[in-house]
Parts: sequence; C-alpha cells; structure tokens
Amino acid sequence: MTNLTVLTYFIYLPIVLALTLYVARILFRNARVFMLDIFNGRAEIADSTNRLFEVGFYLLNIGFALWVMEIHGQLNGTQEVVEKLAGKVGGFAIYLGIVLFAHLWLFFRGKRKASEARRHAIPTVAPLQA
Amino acid sequence: MNLNLLSYLIFLPAMMAIAMWTARSCHRNGRVWMLGIFDGDAPFVDAINNVLLVGCYTLNLGYVAMVMSLWEPITGLEHMLATLVHRIALILLSLAAIHFTNIGVLLVWSLLRARDLAPQQPTLTNTSLP
Repeated sequence: MTNLTVLTYFIYLPIVLALTLYVARILFRNARVFMLDIFNGRAEIADSTNRLFEVGFYLLNIGFALWVMEIHGQLNGTQEVVEKLAGKVGGFAIYLGIVLFAHLWLFFRGKRKASEARRHAIPTVAPLQA
Repeated sequence: MNLNLLSYLIFLPAMMAIAMWTARSCHRNGRVWMLGIFDGDAPFVDAINNVLLVGCYTLNLGYVAMVMSLWEPITGLEHMLATLVHRIALILLSLAAIHFTNIGVLLVWSLLRARDLAPQQPTLTNTSLP
C-alpha cells in the first residue's frame, strides 16, 4: 500500500462503526427498563422513545467519529500507523464511554423525575376517594 | 522487527485482557451491592450493570489504546523491557485506582441508603403512639 493515511482510514472506520453499533445496542437494550418506568409501563411510547434516542445516539457518535478522522501530516512506516490508530481509536472509545455515562445519567434523572411526579400525584388522588 | 511494534504486540493484548477481567469481576460481584442499593429490583439492576460493564470496557480499553500512542522510540532490548514494565505498571496502578473508587462509591452509596431507610422506624412508632 503506497498511501498509509488511506490505509489507516480504512482500518479506523470499521473499528469505530462497530464500536458505536455495539455500545448503542447494549445501551438501548437495557434502556428499555428505564423508559418503561418513565412512561408508566406504556410499552408503545417507551419503545418508540427508546428508538428515537438510539437513532440520535448513532447520528451523534458516527458524526463525531467521522469529524475527528482526518490525519494531519505524513505517516512513515507501520509503527506510526499503529500509534496513530491507537491514539484515534482510544480517544474515540473514551469519548464514547463519556457519552454512554451521560445517557445513563439522563435516564436516571428521567426515572427520578417520573417517580417524584408519581409521588406528588398520589395525595391529590387520595382525598378524592375519602 | 521494530522493537516498538513488538512491545505494542505484547502490551495491547495483555492490558486488554486485564482491563476486561477487572471490568467483568466488577460486573459479577457489584450486582449484589446494587441489589441492596436498589431494593432488590433485579431487572433494573441488571440493566444498569450491563450498561456500566460496557462503559467500563470502552473507557478502560480506550485509555489503554490511547496511552499506547505516546510511547517514546525504543532503542534496545534492555530499554524495551524497562519501558514495557513501566507502562504496564502505570496501567495496573490506574486500574487499581479506578477499582478502589468503584468499591468506595458502592460502599458510600450503600451506607447512605441504609441511613435513609433507618429513621423510618422511629417515625412509624411515633405516629402510632398517640
């Protein structure tokens, strides 16, 4: 391969795409529990909200992965390719981890707000029955 | 063979294996603690636990890959061994710090949870007294 930069791009892209797909799939398979709790067990709206968030997650992270892909300067030899690739993929993985925890925090917050709303809703129902 | 490349070849798989093993042991043994924190809500705990496992993977493996791009050029076999051991030590120490932070968070959260639950009994007896 004459152009090492292009080779690096072709290794980088499948890695980050696979990583994003894997992380998104795990996150949103497990986010369903949160969504069901937030929407009081209404499965239809919980699933569609989950799906909307998943699409947003793909757009955000694949967009970021492509945004930071460009390599400036010349790459000389296999060692530089490996180092550059490790730096790029590693940095992207750390970014992805931070976004993952941010989503988890968001879901926690939603769940807490929903349970607070439910707790405030109970006293207004109880006097009506009494 | 380039000595830098050779040490990457040793460093990356070994560190990935150790990072994944640490994350997995946290995943397996942290579950009981989280069941205590979240009132034994098993589906919810498993959902959080799985997302945390993936977050742990991406952050730790990303960190391992990213520091790999910062190595200095290696001149001889002796230098290679010294650098390799030093770099491995740094990763192990960071993993240890993260691990103990995890344990600390679980412990503090459990203690706070226990403290929150404890005062309910005196208030219950007080309300039943008159």
